[in-house]
Amino acid sequence: MKVLLIEDDAETGAYIARGLREHGHVVDHAPDGRDGLMMAVGGAHEVLIVDRMLPELDGLAVVRTLRGAGVKAPVLFLTALRGVGDRVQGLEAGGDDYLVKPFAFAELLARLNALARRPPLSDTPIVLRIADLELDLLKRTVTRGGERVELQSREFGLLEFLVRHADRVVTRTMLLEGVWDFHFDPQTNIVETHVSRLRAKISRGGRDPELIHTIRGSGYALRAPNS
Amino acid sequence: MLRTASFRLTALYVAVFAASALMLGVAVFFVARSALEQQMMVRIDTETTFLREEFRTGGMDRLRAMVQARGRGANALDFLLRDAHGRHIAGEMTTDAALRPGWTTIAAPETPEAGGDGKRPEALRTLVSDLGGGLLLAIGEDQGRIADVEEAITQAFLWTTGLAVLLGIGGGALLSRAFLARVDAIARTAEAIIGGDLARRVPVRDTGDDLDRLAGTLNHMLDRIGALMDSLRQVSSDVAHDLRTPLSRLYQRLEEARTHACSVAEYEVAVDVAMREAEGLLETFSALLRIAQVEGASPRAGFRAVDLSAVVDSVVDAYRPDAEEAAHRLVATVSPGIVVHGDQELLTQAVANLMENALRHTPAGTLIGVELSRNAAGDCLAVMDDGPGVAPGDMLRLVHRFYRGERSRTTPGNGLGLSLVAAVADLHGATLLLRDAAPGLRVTLCIPRAAPPSN
Repeated sequence: MKVLLIEDDAETGAYIARGLREHGHVVDHAPDGRDGLMMAVGGAHEVLIVDRMLPELDGLAVVRTLRGAGVKAPVLFLTALRGVGDRVQGLEAGGDDYLVKPFAFAELLARLNALARRPPLSDTPIVLRIADLELDLLKRTVTRGGERVELQSREFGLLEFLVRHADRVVTRTMLLEGVWDFHFDPQTNIVETHVSRLRAKISRGGRDPELIHTIRGSGYALRAPNS
Repeated sequence: MLRTASFRLTALYVAVFAASALMLGVAVFFVARSALEQQMMVRIDTETTFLREEFRTGGMDRLRAMVQARGRGANALDFLLRDAHGRHIAGEMTTDAALRPGWTTIAAPETPEAGGDGKRPEALRTLVSDLGGGLLLAIGEDQGRIADVEEAITQAFLWTTGLAVLLGIGGGALLSRAFLARVDAIARTAEAIIGGDLARRVPVRDTGDDLDRLAGTLNHMLDRIGALMDSLRQVSSDVAHDLRTPLSRLYQRLEEARTHACSVAEYEVAVDVAMREAEGLLETFSALLRIAQVEGASPRAGFRAVDLSAVVDSVVDAYRPDAEEAAHRLVATVSPGIVVHGDQELLTQAVANLMENALRHTPAGTLIGVELSRNAAGDCLAVMDDGPGVAPGDMLRLVHRFYRGERSRTTPGNGLGLSLVAAVADLHGATLLLRDAAPGLRVTLCIPRAAPPSN
């Protein structure tokens, strides 16, 4: 995956670039907003990582300009200080996700993967399938091996999020933001409790093979048993 | 003192007053003079008519006698009777000038018996009339009398105006000095505060005048700044104190690994523990920063319509499994469709913090109630429990940063949850109320309903 990183802090930039390259990505690194804008326009990048505080041209302006110029690649904002309303501002400027420093590299990677392969909204299927698990998004029903699994609405949302990100790591904070719209870190492990309940329901008390896997130090991933 | 606003105002006022007094004086002067002249001419005219009549009826002898008789007396007019050859027949007016009928002014040397001071040659306003056959009758009156009146008027005006100006300047100076003294008092207070005496306040005289109001406002401002400084000091010392413990723990762990660990596995364990500790520290810092940002945020900037009912439902939903796992009973009564003007992220976090507090600081089996309703005080969220509650003395300290009740020392948490709720409440103009629910604690957050748009 070709990633453009616009980050003025040399150390953070090098850390992110090294980590992404280790995971097999191609990284272009721009040290300020103006360079970043130049590189982004002709670069055909799949994902952009943009720091909000940049010399020359700040991150919001860069993304606004890019969106105006028709660059549609998803943008992940990085920020050192998250002020009240900053996230909404970032999303309104055309950003797709928002990550506050300091962050675990696994978090950044999981979010980049989620962004890069986000399917266009137009061909969103009505039924999601993974192994013998089926989600009907219209009727909001779930079946496993053809049998109905009763889920509460929030559990359905959680499962849908996991299925949409199937085979990829989904972090705790991604779930909090995507499922509950919680943009903070609760002290209680609410995600763990919900996931373990969901797990029990869709494995029907352990009779069926496990689909939701815990990835140590990162989060969860939903995978078909034989993959 | 000459530079004070009050003195300048007084000076301006005095100048305007003096100018108007002067104008009045000039007007009075000219009106009085013209009236006096008019009166004099009428008197001379009347006298002339009278004597002409006497001459017509009584002849020359009668006229001469009348002129001599009427020329005597303190306030008498001056008379002169001449025949056609210019010979003096009667009257005290002494002049050698040729006379023609009509009004004229004759400069006559002062006669000693008239009591003149000799300084000023007497100027006589005179009417000369021809009584027939060249017989000339001149009747005049001393213009000095008018001059005297004029002088009296001028002097009176100069005196009163001068006195008024002097009084004005003196009064202005006094006023300015009083004003200056109070301004100086404010300046001295400010200097003392700059010098470090933060408890100093501007003296207030309880007169309720503008300077007093200013002093009151300044004192209010100083109180506010003082409270903010205190809280800042408190926060810095709290931060230093509360972060030192985990930091030294982190240091000890790393040091221990450095000296005692012999295998990669042991190192890995040590690194994991250190990372967890660092994570906790970062979380505490983030929470502190968040509170600072919320406290520093400009109210209502970025506020939108937030479906508070949905927010509360979502939070209750999120915590329900945990509550059930911890054998708490969670009962939520949420009125649907309550929409407030605010920041959704912050409101969600505030509600979540309240939930977490209730879950975390109560034993298993506790009933936790969440209520959202619309009442007279606004849109009110109440989170209550029937747990052990909070000692009355601790109630106020609950919202302080890092404050943790004695029983909570061992539970996880950083003591910042309610501080954030308080900051969010403040940002939304909401009231946060903690009270004893006997048993348990009841926390109420009331967001006043926004006034309907004025347009």
